[in-house]
Amino acid sequence: MQTRMEHSELTENEKMEAFLARIDRGEKIEADDWMPADYRNQLIKLISMHGISEIMGALPEKEWVPKAPTLRRKLAIMAKVQDEMGHGQLLLRVAEDLMAPLGKTREDLMQDLFTGRLKFHNVFHMEAPTWADAGVIGWLVDGAAIITQTMSLDTSYAPYARALHRICAEEKFHAQHGESIVLELAEGTEAQRQMLQESITRWWPSLLMFFGPPENGTITSNQSANMRYKIRSQTNEELRQAFLTKYVPRIFHLGFTLPDETIHFDEASGQWIYQQPDWEAFKLIVKGQGPRSAHRLSLRETSYEDTKWVRDAIMSFGRQAG
Amino acid sequence: MGTEAKKDFDIYEVFSQKNVTSSFVHQFSLLAPNKEVALTMARENFLRREPCFNLWVVKRDDIYGLSPEERPFLERLDNKSYRETKGYGDLQARWRQHKERYEEQQQKAKSGS
Repeated sequence: MQTRMEHSELTENEKMEAFLARIDRGEKIEADDWMPADYRNQLIKLISMHGISEIMGALPEKEWVPKAPTLRRKLAIMAKVQDEMGHGQLLLRVAEDLMAPLGKTREDLMQDLFTGRLKFHNVFHMEAPTWADAGVIGWLVDGAAIITQTMSLDTSYAPYARALHRICAEEKFHAQHGESIVLELAEGTEAQRQMLQESITRWWPSLLMFFGPPENGTITSNQSANMRYKIRSQTNEELRQAFLTKYVPRIFHLGFTLPDETIHFDEASGQWIYQQPDWEAFKLIVKGQGPRSAHRLSLRETSYEDTKWVRDAIMSFGRQAG
Repeated sequence: MGTEAKKDFDIYEVFSQKNVTSSFVHQFSLLAPNKEVALTMARENFLRREPCFNLWVVKRDDIYGLSPEERPFLERLDNKSYRETKGYGDLQARWRQHKERYEEQQQKAKSGS
């Protein structure tokens, strides 16, 4: 978009003060507004990680498209995979506009992913060996994503908020898609129930890790900066507690167990008490040393290479038709 | 991979119309090498579920708009009630008074005769 030239005579300090005052008033920031480099960098980090995770998240589910048990299930999981790629497109667009003043593009993000500089969500480094995993990913992984993203709807960065509005609407469908698979298995045979129980047990530590380490942990985090800028409004632990409140009872209602005998809701503190996952393992997983990290990255790389001819063809045609 | 041309894709803004009487609404933006691909991608990216009657894509560079410094001046002064229906809130009550006075007179005339 074109606009008239800016004629601002404010010093950097005055701009920063005005910016923080806008944040405090609850105003939203647009892509072409002045913003501190720190705010821009936090957003790029958060949104590119979110966008790439959507795309990497499509991969474990994609594995189940050819093996879905019925035609309806196959169509539904295909629709979900397509949605995830669409969410990636939305978020990468938001990240691109933030990166434009730094001279970085979508290709740079892809390269950062391949070289391991750009992280993606811990859950997408994990195995999804059974059909129950397809259900659990939809029900609990997307359920966890809904909790994080609903909090972020109120983010101070307007383009991210607009993207999240579209995404949250579709995530609700994903969660229902997952619930439908899970309930079918839970109401099924002993073998089906056992498959689902194994999947819940397998995914439990990853689900706890999904929200990131608690504030008092040893891993440094950007949480406080992000809360000062109102990019987010709740801490990792607050989100994890909301997740436990919503899903632990449902897991018990279906008659399944968690691999944590200590987990319970403490009425006095109003908090769930649970066994911490191995946060050292979490560090290694997001660094790309999870059980499926290398495989998924190579899938993404192969797909990027294999479709290069499509992009090339579009480009040469594009210049003629454009 | 490194040889891929970078700057040849343009940003397109996408607008869609839900039905024949609704206005065009901005959906989001996308990257495309030309307008035909942009139109196809717009359907894929934004209209997988929503009903859609018509669709536009516009190159972002072709949109001329306000800078962040100019936008605050869009805020309307609050002394323009004469432009809005709420500036004429007394009308209903006055019409009612006229109607009641008229009806009273009619009543009186009737009982007087």
